[in-house]
Amino acid sequence: MNDDLDNIVAAHRADIHKAPPHLVRQWHVAIDEAAALERGREHKVKSGWRPNSLFWGMAVSAALAVGVAIGFLASDRAITTQVPQLVDIQPQTNVIPAAFTRGLAAHFRDSKDQLENLDIESDSAMLILQLIEQNRLFQKAADQSNAPQLARVLRAFEPILLRLAAAETAPEDAAALRAQLSFELNVMLTKLANESSDKTHST
Amino acid sequence: MKIGGVPTQGDFHEAIATRSDRWYSACLKITRNPDMAADAVQDALLNAWNKRHQFEHGARLDTWIHRIVINAALNQIRKSKPGIFEPLETDIEDVTATPHVELENHELESRLARSLSGLSEVERICFVLKHLEQWRIAEIATQLELNDGRVKQAIFRAVKKLRISMQDMQRERNE
Repeated sequence: MNDDLDNIVAAHRADIHKAPPHLVRQWHVAIDEAAALERGREHKVKSGWRPNSLFWGMAVSAALAVGVAIGFLASDRAITTQVPQLVDIQPQTNVIPAAFTRGLAAHFRDSKDQLENLDIESDSAMLILQLIEQNRLFQKAADQSNAPQLARVLRAFEPILLRLAAAETAPEDAAALRAQLSFELNVMLTKLANESSDKTHST
Repeated sequence: MKIGGVPTQGDFHEAIATRSDRWYSACLKITRNPDMAADAVQDALLNAWNKRHQFEHGARLDTWIHRIVINAALNQIRKSKPGIFEPLETDIEDVTATPHVELENHELESRLARSLSGLSEVERICFVLKHLEQWRIAEIATQLELNDGRVKQAIFRAVKKLRISMQDMQRERNE
């Protein structure tokens, strides 16, 4: 009987499913990017504070604070308008709250504007790191809202942002990355706009 | 393979080149979902990179990452199916997989790996952790927030079901 179990275990252990080559490449790139980002951070710390990075940090923090406040206001409004319609309340699993979608659209719009106006010659890594942090917050929220596809899309932005933040990215590569990001963000904004207009038409 | 000391970027590349098939395969057995398995390996690698200063002297880098990978796969399951490990009277088989995912799994996996799909989620994960990953019962129970008895029961049922499917496979091969 134990031989039987040993055979089962041995067979399952030997049954290795090879990782697709594009994933293996992606994992190598992820390590290179994490290392490059770390080197970039060390470089920034060594070069000290600059008024420009302080300005960007403050600007993004202010934008975040406004975004959070708008999110709260929007969610409050949503609650007050929904209260009289108790009969229409449906189970909310797999439904992304409207306030979240609005906040996400604002995040995409801000990211797009900031990336388009980014002065790559100046101290831009701080701003991109802030965008990454903000992106992670939305990614976490998407995970918690049971929206794995959206979380995956947000996760896919991170390696591009990391590459853009890396100190050794050549200016021409950075321009290409910004163009790619801008395009992806536009696609997401259009998708969100279409979804929200579909909801408006269906109600 | 790297043993002890703070691992370098090159050590990570070496580990990915030589061991990532095993990590991915283990994640596939746990999650039965290629996207989740891929995300688990990536999350674990970045996590391991960020915590590489905690890598203990005398440990093997690939084994250390393997453990982080398995935890990441369990986190993926928890995120996608909250409450999956909460105690039930009887475990039910995974009926949440969409036809698309099922088809993908069917194409991707060997007959042997598919025999795992006859197990409930808890049975499959407990079996993989105990017999393929060689975790102790207490470790599995802690990680899945179950009691030891339930883990043992899940493993017992898993082995019983796998024996039957293995016998079927052998019978078909002999015919």
